[in-house]
This record gives sequence, structure tokens and C-alpha cells, in this order.
Amino acid sequence: MIASVSQCTIRLVLSAVLALAVVSSGLAAPNFAVEVRPILQKCLPCHGPDDNSRMANLRLDSRESATGETGGYAGLVPGESSESRLIARVEADTNPMPPTGERLSSEEVDTLRHWIDAGAHYERHWAFERPVRPAQPDVSDPRWVRNPVDALVLATLDENGLRPSLEADRYTLVRRVSLDLTGLPPTPDEAEAFVSDDSTGAYEALVDRLLSAAAYGERWARVWLDLARYADSMGYEKDSLRTIWPYRDWVVKALNDNLPFDRFTVLQLAGDLLSEPTQDDLVATGFHRNTMTNTEGGTDDEEFRDEAVKDRVATTGQTWMGLTWGCAQCHSHKYDPISQKEYYSLYAFFNQTADADRNDDSPTLEVAEGVSTPIFRRVSDEERRETFVHKRGNFMSLGERVEPNVPAAFHGFSPASAKNRLGLAQWLMSEENPLTARVAVNRIWARLFGAGIVKTEEDFGTQGTPPTHPDLLDWLALEFMRGGWDMKAIIKTIVMSATYRQTSDASQELLEGDPNNDLLARGPRFRLPAEMVRDQALAASGLLSRKVGGPPVMPWQPDGIWQVVYSSRLWETSPGEDRHRRALYTLWRRTSPYPSMTTFDAPSGETCTIRRIRTNTPLQALVTLNDPPLMEAAQFLAKRAKREAHSSSESVLEQMFRLLLMRPPSAEESRRLLALHDEAASDLAEDPSGTRKLSNYDRVLYTENREATLVDDSRGNAPVWRYATVDPGEDWTSSHFDDSRWKTGRGSFGNSKAADNDGNDDPYSASQRTVWNTPDLWMRLEFDVPARGLDDFRFEVRHSGSFRAFINGIPAATDLDGAGTHVPYPVSPSARAALRPNGNVLAVHVVHTGLTDGGRNIDFGLTALQPPEFPDGRDQTPESAAWVVVANVVLNLDEALTKR
Amino acid sequence: MSPGFEFAQHVTRRHFLDACQIGLASMFLGSVRPATAAQEHTLAPKAPHYEPKAKSVIYLHMAGGPSQLELFDPKPELQKHSGTDCPQHLLEGKRFAFIKGVPQLLGTPYRFQQAGQSGTWISELLPRFAGVADEAAIVRSMTTEQFNHAPAQLLLHTGNARLGSASMGAWATYGLGSENRDLPGFVVLVSGNKTPSAGKSLWGSGFLPSVYQGVQCRTQGEPVLFLGNPEGMSRSLRRKTLDALGDLNRLRQEQSRDPDTLARIEQYELAYRMQVSVPEVMDISREPDSIHSLYGTQPGKLSFANNCLLARRLVENGVRFVQLYDWGWDHHGNARRTDIRYDLPDRARDIDRPTAALIKDLKQRGLLDQTLIVWGGEFGRTPMRENRQGDKTEYYGRDHHPDAFTMWLAGGGIKGGVSYGSTDDIGYHVDSDPVTPRDLQATLLHLLGLDPYQLHFSHQGLNQRLIGPTDEGRIVRELLA
Repeated sequence: MIASVSQCTIRLVLSAVLALAVVSSGLAAPNFAVEVRPILQKCLPCHGPDDNSRMANLRLDSRESATGETGGYAGLVPGESSESRLIARVEADTNPMPPTGERLSSEEVDTLRHWIDAGAHYERHWAFERPVRPAQPDVSDPRWVRNPVDALVLATLDENGLRPSLEADRYTLVRRVSLDLTGLPPTPDEAEAFVSDDSTGAYEALVDRLLSAAAYGERWARVWLDLARYADSMGYEKDSLRTIWPYRDWVVKALNDNLPFDRFTVLQLAGDLLSEPTQDDLVATGFHRNTMTNTEGGTDDEEFRDEAVKDRVATTGQTWMGLTWGCAQCHSHKYDPISQKEYYSLYAFFNQTADADRNDDSPTLEVAEGVSTPIFRRVSDEERRETFVHKRGNFMSLGERVEPNVPAAFHGFSPASAKNRLGLAQWLMSEENPLTARVAVNRIWARLFGAGIVKTEEDFGTQGTPPTHPDLLDWLALEFMRGGWDMKAIIKTIVMSATYRQTSDASQELLEGDPNNDLLARGPRFRLPAEMVRDQALAASGLLSRKVGGPPVMPWQPDGIWQVVYSSRLWETSPGEDRHRRALYTLWRRTSPYPSMTTFDAPSGETCTIRRIRTNTPLQALVTLNDPPLMEAAQFLAKRAKREAHSSSESVLEQMFRLLLMRPPSAEESRRLLALHDEAASDLAEDPSGTRKLSNYDRVLYTENREATLVDDSRGNAPVWRYATVDPGEDWTSSHFDDSRWKTGRGSFGNSKAADNDGNDDPYSASQRTVWNTPDLWMRLEFDVPARGLDDFRFEVRHSGSFRAFINGIPAATDLDGAGTHVPYPVSPSARAALRPNGNVLAVHVVHTGLTDGGRNIDFGLTALQPPEFPDGRDQTPESAAWVVVANVVLNLDEALTKR
Repeated sequence: MSPGFEFAQHVTRRHFLDACQIGLASMFLGSVRPATAAQEHTLAPKAPHYEPKAKSVIYLHMAGGPSQLELFDPKPELQKHSGTDCPQHLLEGKRFAFIKGVPQLLGTPYRFQQAGQSGTWISELLPRFAGVADEAAIVRSMTTEQFNHAPAQLLLHTGNARLGSASMGAWATYGLGSENRDLPGFVVLVSGNKTPSAGKSLWGSGFLPSVYQGVQCRTQGEPVLFLGNPEGMSRSLRRKTLDALGDLNRLRQEQSRDPDTLARIEQYELAYRMQVSVPEVMDISREPDSIHSLYGTQPGKLSFANNCLLARRLVENGVRFVQLYDWGWDHHGNARRTDIRYDLPDRARDIDRPTAALIKDLKQRGLLDQTLIVWGGEFGRTPMRENRQGDKTEYYGRDHHPDAFTMWLAGGGIKGGVSYGSTDDIGYHVDSDPVTPRDLQATLLHLLGLDPYQLHFSHQGLNQRLIGPTDEGRIVRELLA
């Protein structure tokens, strides 16, 4: 076993592993990648690939330029370090290089000297060379090896004098692999079936079953959607909602169908360029229609179209090749081989689509009745754009003209491919591409192990971190390609490995020696991502809806979150099972994302997120302790455990554990939580109100309401209003005001015969019944409130200008900006208090001074909710409420929030 | 020595700083990393780069773009030509958000007076602020690149007009941590009924870990989301649950040895303390009457005045960065509520008393010296009348104007009574000493003891900085005490 491993020794050995070349070649040249490049890197800001920042005409990033063979200044004389000015300048007493920061240490200078004396041989950055199939290494314990992943991991452990950890217990394993493959915990029965199945193929059968579950696609779609910067809104100031969930559903289906990764790529980047694309092929191009659209008044559409194109270039580089191409939009990359001109040559591939920052997100495709989703379409030949270098990244400052092309440092474009997005997608997926497969398998590895083999998943360039297991990365990449880019197969290979199946419990020595588990001498262990925190609680409590796909939903969130400029639209908790859908389906608005998920590091969707940074904050504790949907889950977890258990308290607790953690509690855990249960029950015996609330959390949160219409709008049978177009003076809102001389008319009111500013037909004209042409409109209507116990009074208003509404003279609602569809506005508490059964007066003043989009229009209604009758006989004892308290604790256990 | 290597003497500052960052980056990568990323990023106090002038910041953002011409920048020449057509040469090559055709020049309906010993020109709309003018440095030469609200706000607060970068307050807490263990390090307070245009991205942590994002505290409802115990769960019962939770977590940790578990136990305890400390600091009802009359505050109300008083209480309790947003300064003149004659006086009145009170109150508590106050919008307004509806409108307003606007700074490290920079005769362009958002950001970080050129975070292959990729941002030393 591990004998006195110290942090130091592991680190030393690890760096020796990374520097294998040094070991094998004895005292000869230092390893370029490991030892020399990091030193030269300090010189590259001024002596690197960027022509504009180069000093002294000296380039140190290639041998030809550094030795003066390509006409620059010679800083290096190969074989002659004493003749090389590089050495003289870093050793100079006055003004030594580098001019700032720390001087090079004498060891660093020695390294440079040895390297020059040995011939100053450069090597290309490892990630720009194609992966090489590693030899199967000899390992200390061949019996531990289940597949080549393990041999490569064990070889590294052997070199560090470490042994792998034991396999995790079966409860842990079934939970781990279920969460990893489907994002959901197994049911207690599924867990128990696996634990008690001692056949040799039990684990593989489990893995196969999970990979074929519909939940697999949902789980891995979420991983992909981070890259796609998926959101249900357009971004920027107005951040209006957009219908792009058909793309999300396409991703889920493509993953479940196990579409090969090359096909998956081609469809998303260029589905529209295939001959006779299917509807699905077009929907797939939604990947790059997730860029933001700015609908704020007075914006320059070309500016934001350009932003979208740049975002597509950056996202493509990050997602498929793990490179930071975006750096080159203002200047040539300082470290990696992409010039500014090459950047705009990539930009040119994406510069021929018909979308152009339009308010309606066109072009779109109607995928179902009334459902149109943004897609890619190429422009017609007449509309083709020329592409130029943008000086300093400014779209209005154009430089040299460029044609679509890929950076010269990489493999060439196949002559058989067209110079368009389709050709680019084929280039990305070419077996000659050194990065695509590595980046893809590294991403899968990182989601399973918590960190990639290359930690900087977003940067495989020279500034990124080197792989901890280069051979393993190459083996996986080659295996992925060899298997025809089969995503399920590569995931299966990893989770079948002994490496993956290790326990994540660590010895103190291992923890100190290898705190980040770089060497993989134990299994993965890290906090669940935001979506799993929610989904797991819903699944364990039995609340989770398993409905797959469709429009996004609104689970409960606190009032006042959606306080967004230019929109009074309310967040309305979805009815029925939709409030308990998987997190994947939560409506995601970029400027106001669902708060309890962002607290757990879910990205906003503003830009491509390659890797979420995990945090650990008190706000997370507040969410899992107090967020009402999680309390509702606690209530139902308690209820379910009681229902499914035998009568004893011990068995209720055991079932609660099995539902969430799979395993039964230890005696100590059981004792402690039963003590809490008794304490809570005795506290609650003194607190009937607390007991009632904890027992009925679902009722506190939501009610299944029926809607009552008090004033119908034009969607139904709109009533006849009294109205005036000249100022009626004081007191016009009160119920006593005499409006008998006002005109009468049905809603909606407007002047929609006029086309809107863009010359389109006005969408309101169909519902318009009374013409309103003036800037101001005063309206009055008498109405009754027939039913008792009504709640949640709200206006339903579609309007083009601003309005102020009064009930019985009391201000009831106001909005200063228009709403193109009917939007609910809550009636103010004071106006609500002024309501009586009969003879209420609704008075509305509408102002529309013109010159905004669309014609004048106002359509006004009032609704309320009729709360349901609750059946009696709920279990409201202090004893049962205490189980809710216990369930709240169990849902907050570190173990529950951790994948281990 | 060969000529090729003689450049060291002529090294540029840009070069210098790039080199610095690479040094830092490689130090970072080479250092022994702490156990986990989650532990590495905490709000524990961190040492500044050098001696700070200010310990905390109160940033008062007037969302919408307040009119400098009505408040801070008097222009007799504009007054003289009010109502005449704008000369064509001023319009050539200009992009406006809403102005179309040839607009008319528009003088201000308000008088300006010189205030304090410094003789600073201040509009009659801000009489109380005039009383503390000697404490503030007025910058009349602000200029920005963006003329739409959301991008301009983002540029100002995150250094990038696009979404996804980290806000100033997040940078400050990333650089310095927080002084109070029981409160968030970066607090956001919003008034004016609506969040600013760019939404929560303005106080997001962007690419920085989310532990640094601004926490919006609300003056109505729960002050922090999910702060209150669930309905039916008393505080004493909550204590019992946390005791049980801690016991169980420790039990498991003995087996797993996962340091994250211990960190999580700590976070639960902090959350428990926050349940008391946040409502306490957010409760202004126990402030004496004299304070309420100084600020014009009414407990329980959602107002800018209440937020100013809260800001004082928060910095008093060691919060690093308090960001206020007040919505409603977008005076286009396309309706009564955006008219510079009808609405602007109300907006000005709503902020005049509390801002002056904030300065006085911090001063009387000896906190002004260590608290930097910044006031301003995301851009200014045009010297021309917008007149979107054509001649028939009775309302007066101005369009967005990125080229020239006014901000002021006061408190920690700022030289009071200074008027810095100037605009041309009609307030259209900056005449002298332009100050950009990047300059403001550099100055702000500098006052906090953070080197704006060095403070960075590695993301997507770049050393991201608040002041952006180039070193154009400068510390405006003329404003410093």
C-alpha cells in the first residue's frame, strides 16, 4: 500500500512523468515542451507570432525565425549558447530580459543554454500533433486492469508508487453511474436489484440499461447546451423570449439515438447546406442561432449581426478544438498559431447566413402549428457578403479582404470539400484534426471525473495546462474515432473501467499528496451540478415529471425576480406536472435566470461555457434549506417514505435514505436523526401553525385554481365600454362619475388599419372592434364580483402605449410600455380591498403618442382565481411534520449533494 | 552589444505590463494549488497590491442616462441658440439612438449656481448636493463608446459591452475579499421599480467564480433570496436541524476525508448567521429620527433614499462594494414621464437629499475617508431636443449621448472641490481631459489598492482584466487627494 507519500514526492514524480522524454534521453537536451517552452513563453508577448507587437524584429516562437533563417534578427545560434544573444540578454546586468517581472533563475538560463547547445530543436505544441496510439504498458497488477484505460492509469500510478483504491461499494456505484449517465438517482428497487445481483455481467447490464434510457439524452444534452449557450431568450436589454426549444429537443433526441459525433457536428454547423435537408437537419442548425439578438430601439443591426458571427467563430473554436480563436479578432493570437487574417478567414465561413439581428429572429422554420424556431439559411447568391479583416476588431474599420479558409498551422482543407460551413464541419471532423477527438473525450472525462485530463478544457493551446495522462487522452481520442465517433460507446468504455469504479474515499496521505486526484488513485467525487440538485430531490420525493421535451416551463420561483425593463410579464408557475419537470426544461431567461440554479453555478447562457467553475457558498445552503420547491420535495419525501416503509420510525428513516442515497443509514446516523425527529415533534406539538404549514407545503406553494373571468377581453366576448377621447377632468375614475354622455364601443380599441412602420399588416386588426385614433383614450366599465373567496385578481392586457387602471377610483395597475400579447398585471392590494360584490367601476387611461412599432391598440380584461376546496383528512400531526424536518436535513446531507 | 537588443530602454508600458502578467500567470499555474477550486475562492480578506485609499465603494448608478446639461454642465451658448436648427456639420457621421433628420438645439430650463468654496457650478435641481459640493470631484468630461443602455451599462460596470464579463464589484471582492464574515462582500440595491436594462448581468461574476457575484438585497420581501426559514420552521428548530446535519456530515467526513465537506459545514453555519445579520443590517427602522430626516427615509418603502442609508449601514459593517441602481433617468421627452421639465425635477429631488445626506453622514462617522462614492449614468444626453414624434409633441427631452457626460466622485482618496475636464460650448463633445469608463475603472481599483493593470483572471486563454485587454485605461491622478 501507500507508504508515507508526501505531497512533495508525488509532485516530483508527477513532473517526472510529464517529462518522460527527459528521463529517457538522459542528460541530453532538455525536454522542449516541458522545460523550454514555458521559459520562452515569457518572451512571446514581444517576440511571438503577433506582427504588431513584435520588438526588435525578433521572433522566438519558431526555429527558422529565431535563428534568422527567415530574415529576422538572429537571437539563437544553434549549438553555440555562448554566441546566442538570447543568453546574453537574459543574463545582462543592465536592462536584462524580460524587461519586467522576475529575472530568469540561473536554472532557467542553464536550461536554455543546454537546449541551444544541443541544437535548439523546437517541437510543435503537443496538442497540434495528431494523437499517437500508445503501447500497452506493463503494469504492476494486470488483474486490476479491466480495459486499456486502466492500464494507462495504473502505469502512471506505478511510477508514483501508488496503488489504486478499492472498488466502491455497490450502493455507491449504482448511484454514481445512474447520476452520471442519466442525471437521476436510481429507484430503491433498481438499486437493490443491482446490489443483490452477483452475476458477472450485472454492472454492464446496468450501464447498458442507463445508456438506453430516455433520461440519458436529457442529462448529456445539458452538457452540450452549455456549449451551445442555449437560452429561451434573446439577450441584451429587452431579452425577449425566443422559441428555440425545438433545437433543445433535437439535441436530446440526437443523443438518445446515438447520432455519431461527426454527423451530430455536421448537422448543427451546416444542416441547411445538405442536399434536401430534413426538418430535423434544419432544426439542428439552431446551435448557432442561440447567439443573442439585440432588439433595443436604435441599435445598429449590422453591429449585432457582426457580434453574433464573432460569437459563432469563438464558440466553434472552443467547442470543437478547445482553442481560443476569439483572441485573434483584435490582433493576431499572442501564443497560438492563428493570425488576425486567419481569424477573419474563419469568420468568412459564418458570414453568409441570412439572419441579421432581426426582432423576429428570422429566418425561422415552422416545426409545428404556431411553433417557429430560428434556423440557419445561407444568403442568396446576390446577397453574398464580402469579408474583410476588422481592424482592432471593429466592424466599421475594414482592412484586407479575405476568403473562407482554415489556419495554416493545421491540416489542410480537403479539396473535395466546399469552402463553406459544410466544408468547415468536415474539416473539424477530419481524422487529420489533432484536436476535435481529444477535446470531445476530454469533455466527457471531465463530466464523469470532475476535471479533464487536460484541466483547461477550454484551452488546449500553449497557454493551457498539459494533460495529466497524455497517453490516455490519445488512446481515448483514437478509440472514439475508430469506433465511428460513437458517443455512447466511449462513455461506456470509461464507466466500465476499474478506474471509474474506485471508491472516492481517500486516505489522509493520498489526500495530502494528491488533493486534486490528478493521478486517479481514487474515484471521482464532487458536488452535483445545479440541475441534479433539483432533479434528484424531485425524483426521490416522487414528484418528478418524466415528460420529455416541449416548450420550457416555469417551476415556482419567488415573486419579484422577473423585474425586467420593458416587460411586465409575470413568472407564472406552470400548472400540473409541468412545475415538476427536469431542470433542463426550466424557462431560461439570460438576464434573469432561475435563481436557485444560478446559485449552483448554472451558466446564464450569455456565452459558450466550456467548464463550470464549482463554488461552495452560503447562498447554496440557503437554497437547499429554504427554497420552497425543495421544501415541497422534503414534504413528499417524508410522505413517500412513510407510505412505503413499515410502521417503525427506523424503517421510515431507512426508506428515506434508500430513496435518496440508495444505502440504509448506519446505526449512528439513524440514532441521530431519530433524536432530531423526536425533538422536532415535541417542538411542533407546541406549534400547531408550524405543524400545519410543514405538513401542507404544497398547499402553501401552489393551488390548483380555476380562473374566473370578471371582464372579458377580445379573445372572448368583449363587453361594451364607455370611452372618451378628450380629457374628462377630475374624478373621472370614481364610481360616482357620470359617464352617460361618453361614447360606447366594444374592445379592442385601436387604429390597426394603418400598417406598422415596417409596412407589415398589423397583428391586432383581427380583434379590433372600435377605432381609436387619438393620443389619449379614457375608458370606463361597470362590473360585478359574483363569487366569494376569489383570489389573485389580475388584468389581462394587450396594449401598445402606456396605461393606468383604477378600480373604484383606486390606482390598480400601471404600465409604461407596450405588450404585444395579453400579459397579466396584478391588481394592487388597495384596489383589491376596494372591490365589492356589485357596481365596481374599472377606469383605464391609455396613452399612445404614436411612432412606436405597430398600430394603436388596447385590449383590457380582468380575471381572478377561484381556489380549490381541499379535501380534509390530511396528516397534520406534529409527528408527521417532524418527518418533513428530517427529510429537509437528509436532502441537505453533504453526501446527497455530492457525486461520490 | 548588437543593435537588435537595444530596445530595452524604449520599452513601452504595454510591453511591461504584458510581461508582468505572464509572470504572474505562470506563477499561478506553477504554484501548489489548494485542495479544490471551491476552497481556493473565498471571501476571506486578501491583501491589496498596495496601500489603499478607500476600503469600500458605494456606487450610485442612475440608470437611463441623467442629463448633464440639466444637472452639472451649464452651457450659456446652448441657451442662446436654443430652438434653432442644429448646424449640419454637427450631425455628419453621427449615429443617434432616436434622433432623425435635423433636430433643434435645446437649452436647459434650469438655472445654475456656483456652490461652496470651490465655486463648482451646480444646477438648481440639486440644492442639497450643492451644499456638499466641496467634498466631490466633478468630472464633466466623461465619454463612452456605447449609446444603448444595456451595452453602455455593461461597458461601464464590467469593462465589456457584451454580456459575460465580471462586474466591478465582483473584481473588488475577488481582489480584496470581504471584511465581514456574516454578510456578502458585494451587495446590490435597486430602486425605481425596475432593474437596469442589462439586468442581473451588471452585477454578475461573469467568468469569475460565482462566489464573487453581487447579492441583490431587497428592501421588500426577503432581503436575500431564500434567507428566511421555510414556513413552519422556527429558528430554534432550524438550529436543531443544523446541529444534526453537522453531526451527520462530520460522521461521513471521517470516512471520506473530503475537505469540501468541512467547507460545506462552514457555509451552512455562515448561512445561519446571515439569517440574522442580513435582516439586522437591512432594518433601518431603528435609526434615529435625525438620520431619517437627514436622508428622507421611510422604513419599509422601496426608495433610493432608503438604499442610500442601507449603503451606509452595509459599508459600516464591512461590505466591500455596495452598488445602487436607480431606474428612471431616460428623459427622451416622448411622454410626460420622460420630460425634462415634468419628470426630471422629481428624479433630482428623489436623489438630491439622500446623496448629500450620505456624504454628510459618512463624514460625521469618520467613514468618508475610507469610502469611495461614485455617482453617474451610463451616458449623457444630447444638446439637441429629441422630438421623436415630430413637431406636435408638447414634451421636451434629449436623446442618448455617449460623447460627453458628467459623473462625480467623493470620499476615500478623492480630492474634493475639483472640477475636472470640460466640454465644448454646447456640451456636445469633450474639450479637454476626456475620462473613459476604463479610466474610471482603473481609478476605482487603484483607490482600493488594486493595480488595475495587474488584477486579472485567466479565462479562455486570456488574462481577463476589468480595464480590458489594452492598457488605454489610466488612473486619473488629477482627481486623487
